[in-house]
Amino acid sequence: MRIYRRPNHFLQNVQVVAVGSSYLVQSAAYKMQASRARLFKEYKEVQREKSADPDIQLVCDDSNIFKWTALIKGPSETPYEAGVFQLAFSVPEQYPLQPPQVRFLTKIFHPNVHFKTGEICLDILKNAWSPAWTLQSVCRAIIALMAHPEPDSPLNCDSGNLLRSGDIRGFQSMARMYTNLAAMPKKG
Amino acid sequence: MDSEDDMHDANDVEEFYSSDDYDDDDDDDDVVVESDNDDYAYDNDSDDASGKLTSIRHQKNYTVLKEEDIRQRQEDDIARISAVLSIPRVSACMLLRQYKWSVNNVHEAWFSDEDRVRKAVGLVEERAVESQNDKELTCEICFESYPVDKINSASCGHPYCCTCWAAYISTSINDGPGCLTLRCPVPSCDAAVSQDMINTLVSSEDREKYYRYLLRSYIEDNRKTKWCPAPGCDCAVEFDVGSGSHDVSCLCSYSFCWNCTEEAHRPVDCETVSKWILKNTAESENMNWILANSKPCPKCKRPIEKNQGCMHMTCTPPCKFEFCWLCLGVWSEHGERTGGFYACNRYEAAKQEGAYDESEKRREMAKNSLERYTHYYERWATNQSSRQKALADLHQMQNVHLEKLSEKHKIPESQLKFVVEAWSQIVECRRVLKWTYAYGFYLPEHDNTKRQFFEYLQGEAEANLERLHQCAEKELQNYLGDGTSEDFNSFRTKLAGLTSVTRNYFENLRVAMQRVGKRARPKYEDQVKARRIQAVEFVIIALISGKWDEWV
Repeated sequence: MRIYRRPNHFLQNVQVVAVGSSYLVQSAAYKMQASRARLFKEYKEVQREKSADPDIQLVCDDSNIFKWTALIKGPSETPYEAGVFQLAFSVPEQYPLQPPQVRFLTKIFHPNVHFKTGEICLDILKNAWSPAWTLQSVCRAIIALMAHPEPDSPLNCDSGNLLRSGDIRGFQSMARMYTNLAAMPKKG
Repeated sequence: MDSEDDMHDANDVEEFYSSDDYDDDDDDDDVVVESDNDDYAYDNDSDDASGKLTSIRHQKNYTVLKEEDIRQRQEDDIARISAVLSIPRVSACMLLRQYKWSVNNVHEAWFSDEDRVRKAVGLVEERAVESQNDKELTCEICFESYPVDKINSASCGHPYCCTCWAAYISTSINDGPGCLTLRCPVPSCDAAVSQDMINTLVSSEDREKYYRYLLRSYIEDNRKTKWCPAPGCDCAVEFDVGSGSHDVSCLCSYSFCWNCTEEAHRPVDCETVSKWILKNTAESENMNWILANSKPCPKCKRPIEKNQGCMHMTCTPPCKFEFCWLCLGVWSEHGERTGGFYACNRYEAAKQEGAYDESEKRREMAKNSLERYTHYYERWATNQSSRQKALADLHQMQNVHLEKLSEKHKIPESQLKFVVEAWSQIVECRRVLKWTYAYGFYLPEHDNTKRQFFEYLQGEAEANLERLHQCAEKELQNYLGDGTSEDFNSFRTKLAGLTSVTRNYFENLRVAMQRVGKRARPKYEDQVKARRIQAVEFVIIALISGKWDEWV
């Protein structure tokens, strides 16, 4: 018999009493408590370090701690510079053992981002995930991906082909056009 | 007839295939044919020769490993590495896994560049995080603080609480064999998660899974071992790569080809077999249905399914042939004379007289390529089921009838080996014969000489096998019932003789087929020996079949 400590924070009543020691019970108990607890820690961290990383602004959904959105700034010296891109996070119950699902809400022209759905092809969001990553560090990784596209495993083939054929200017002007169309903050 | 030459060459060959490694305690009761025939009353010489030929066939170039053998070997390898490199057992285990369980490769890599190997495997010695004297540490997964005794870490020192470790390892184990190379959760950290941590942190169920993966990796990663593909069999087979025939026989009595892990198919090569099996899976279902439910149009040979209506069939354009479904005859000849339009008495009458020649029809149909396939497939499948039956009979013989026979005729069971040997021969020959049909299907049709030669040998071999099978199955029944002992002696001579003759025929067939389809080049001296046997056989066959002038 294993009794988990009841978390003493504002999150909804999490009451977990796991009976028996089988893996399923144990891991179910783990994910119910641990994912919430961990997300709450991350939430507090984000609140405290609000100004630590000016490129990333992570916001938790008011009613659901498993839904997050982020605003990230396009890295400088790339066609995404000056753009602000919105990301949607959907965190699974097994978090942080399983990676969060992330997609771009803002239209972006990038070889590793699906042009229609905004789905992102990034190894750390798939098989190279490690529980040591946080939502904040995932944002960092996505910014790095924007600066260093991986044209050999493209989700957006048009974009990938431009880069692979060496047409850097063509790629950059397309990417810049979509940044200007979709990612520019409204003035005023 | 050919016993003298056969014996001579067979003895020569024997010198090359030293049978020292023949595993005597092998209690495989399936197809191993003993070669000591001293009990036999009939012509010892000829049997001795062919007996040796079979022993070549059964030379052991492989070892069957039971689960405990595998564990033992794995343990031995780990212990050896651990002793030579003076590292802990668990580290030795990780090293071996990285180098596909090859002790030599581990030695080589380790002594050429230990640091690189350590890094690749994750045996990091320096700690990335210095242990502090804090009373409490923060787990970097759940971000909670824990007293130091609730915190665990790999050799790198990155601290995580035991609950998070357990969940992290469990997730990885349930994801598959990748758990064997599990690293510290910090993405940039190479430190491996050791077996010690797995032992202490996860549930017994997961631990069992982990060790199952570890055992499997010993067989699956190793170039020289493979699992027996028979369902429910836990044995593995270690094969001396590059040593002749790929056919191996597991302790569960299943024989398979070590190269392609299909059922044993010597003398047909793996490529032909895989083509044939693919064709069977793609077509056999269709084929069975077509055979059961359709008849070919007598004119254009397209299969036709009759789903309703009268016997008056009209084939679809452009053929438009009109015929009777029952007798497949021309419809214009049907009418009152033939018993009305709905029942063809021509067909009934012909069937009664036996004039309705099935085989004639079959031969006509074989022109069709679909029918050609059916022709081979049917024979392949029939021999397959015949072999299954023979295998069952062999076991029945060994377990029940042998004792009965021994009691009835007052002969010790040791002298009844020839019966078992005959049945073993039947089982083996059915297997070979089965695959010759796959071979025949792929033999180029235009290559007439080769085809005729092959079909001639196949026909001879098959006829002899039928004689042997008939003798072992039907005539033996008499001696289980009545029948005197004198009769039994002559039966013994006959059956043993047939066994030996059949063996020779199949050996010829095998040699002829492998000469054509040889892929891997054997060692030079083996080649020379084989050439000599082939040359002698060729002459014999040419002379027997009266085709000397045609071929030479």
